[in-house]
Amino acid sequence: MRYLRLFVVQLRASVQVTMQYRAEFFVGVFMALFYVAWNLIPMFVLWGQRTTIAGWTLEEAALVTAWFTLLRALLDGAVQPSLQAVVEHIRKGTLDFVLLKPADAQFLVSTAKFEVMNFFDASAAVALVLWALHRLHRVPSPAQIGAALLLTVAAAALLYALAILVISAAFYVVRLDNLIYLFNSVFDAGRWPASVFRGTWRIIFTFVVPLALMTTYPALALLGRLETSTTAIALGGALAFVIVARAVWKRSIGHYRSASS
Amino acid sequence: MTAQIQVEKLVKEYRVHERGAGAWASLRSLFKRQYRAARAVDELSFSIAAGERVGFLGPNGAGKTTTLKVLSGLLHPTAGTVRVDGFDPRKRDFDFLRRITLVMGQKQQLLWDLPPVDTFAMNRAIYDIPRREFDETVAELTTLLDLGPLIKRPTRQLSLGERMKCELVAALLHRPKVLFLDEPTIGLDVSMQLTMRAFIRDYNERFGATVLLTSHYMDDVAALCPRVVVIDKGRLIYDGDLAALVRKVRPQKRVVVRLSDGKTETHDVPDGELQSCIAKLLQRGVVDLTVEDPPLEDVMRDLFLGNHAA
Repeated sequence: MRYLRLFVVQLRASVQVTMQYRAEFFVGVFMALFYVAWNLIPMFVLWGQRTTIAGWTLEEAALVTAWFTLLRALLDGAVQPSLQAVVEHIRKGTLDFVLLKPADAQFLVSTAKFEVMNFFDASAAVALVLWALHRLHRVPSPAQIGAALLLTVAAAALLYALAILVISAAFYVVRLDNLIYLFNSVFDAGRWPASVFRGTWRIIFTFVVPLALMTTYPALALLGRLETSTTAIALGGALAFVIVARAVWKRSIGHYRSASS
Repeated sequence: MTAQIQVEKLVKEYRVHERGAGAWASLRSLFKRQYRAARAVDELSFSIAAGERVGFLGPNGAGKTTTLKVLSGLLHPTAGTVRVDGFDPRKRDFDFLRRITLVMGQKQQLLWDLPPVDTFAMNRAIYDIPRREFDETVAELTTLLDLGPLIKRPTRQLSLGERMKCELVAALLHRPKVLFLDEPTIGLDVSMQLTMRAFIRDYNERFGATVLLTSHYMDDVAALCPRVVVIDKGRLIYDGDLAALVRKVRPQKRVVVRLSDGKTETHDVPDGELQSCIAKLLQRGVVDLTVEDPPLEDVMRDLFLGNHAA
């Protein structure tokens, strides 16, 4: 309950910061919508040549892209800003203030900053899902919608866990820009259905950086093509990632040396 | 009285890596690093009773900040024990963190883009302060510090002094019993320093809070702290009454006279000879005469140069 209130306070501060800069706000809205459209262009080019790729039609693949856009919005809007804030905190030594507070440090740092603009990207993703379903003449059953929602939550948790692992590295290496960049680049592969990838890449994107779980599975669930057992395994996997990330974070925080003043 | 802050044989070592100058040494250190344990705090012991105001002095790199960070739970001691208000700081128990605060003159917690009131609101949520108590405290602290409507202006538009005052408010909202103040007046002008001093003293008296203060401005310490703990290279070199320290290191008074011919003279006179010295000076047509303690800066310089083992 207390943490919920804390969350609201932190979110409100982020919204206030965004509202302070009016021009940026409107540019941001425009950029968000433009970015979503821009992401769709390569798909139209590719699927213009043929009707299916690795068994996926354009509309089905658009569902994957929609989830990718949604998670990208989550990453850019809720995860990445806090992540960068922590790196900055560690470099400048102001993480001291976080650690001096009588509240969970992981919670405080991960809710410290939100880029509210990404809400528009997320809305665009939802619109894309509706468009794809409409084109497919498909109305998913409540169970399928439920599974897709559940997998979305798992995907978000997984993304967050990965981010916490990256942040934890900051306690050891201080300069983290490259790692964040790498993380971003790898994440970009999630815009394509997982079965497009073969061999080693497929293994990496399934087990190491489980992009398949994050973007393809929810789309498959909505299409009614995901087995219940796969859903269960995906949820279990996400939970395992969260637990590991928490343990690694706990260890890393003991490593904090606090920059001298 | 039982000690509120108890430090016993505290040792804090940092692992630092060393390399020589030049490109070759840089390259070699990339693969094979030489580590050395640097001792920032070396078997330091002292204890402070509840409600005391203690000045913590020492040259740069003496280990003051490190000690404060150990006391507030940010750093773990290498050896020795530390207790603050009955807690072991390194466990970072929430009940412990609610009782203390650490103000660092060189780091700020205020949200840069938002007015200080928003940081206050955030701390209210974090410390779970009831609304009424929060409103009272904010009103009281802002009055004491003469802040008024400033707290509603974005932090980035405030001056350094105004920001520092707001930092203090943010750090004291939960009414901590133990204050660790690390250079709280750094970079502030004289009048602002005076305000801060008066405020710290006021807070200490009003809430019976314990204050451990480091400052480069000796005047801060002289005005606020009856007792000082002096360390150098991580070791304790003096603990006790400030006036006694001054007498011990520089057993002289400084006599400043302005003579009728417009000249000003300064004499450092040993305690015992004060009377005869003044008598002599008075025969020379004195316009003005003051007797003062030697400046604390000089006392410290003598102390750290090791001229007088205290």
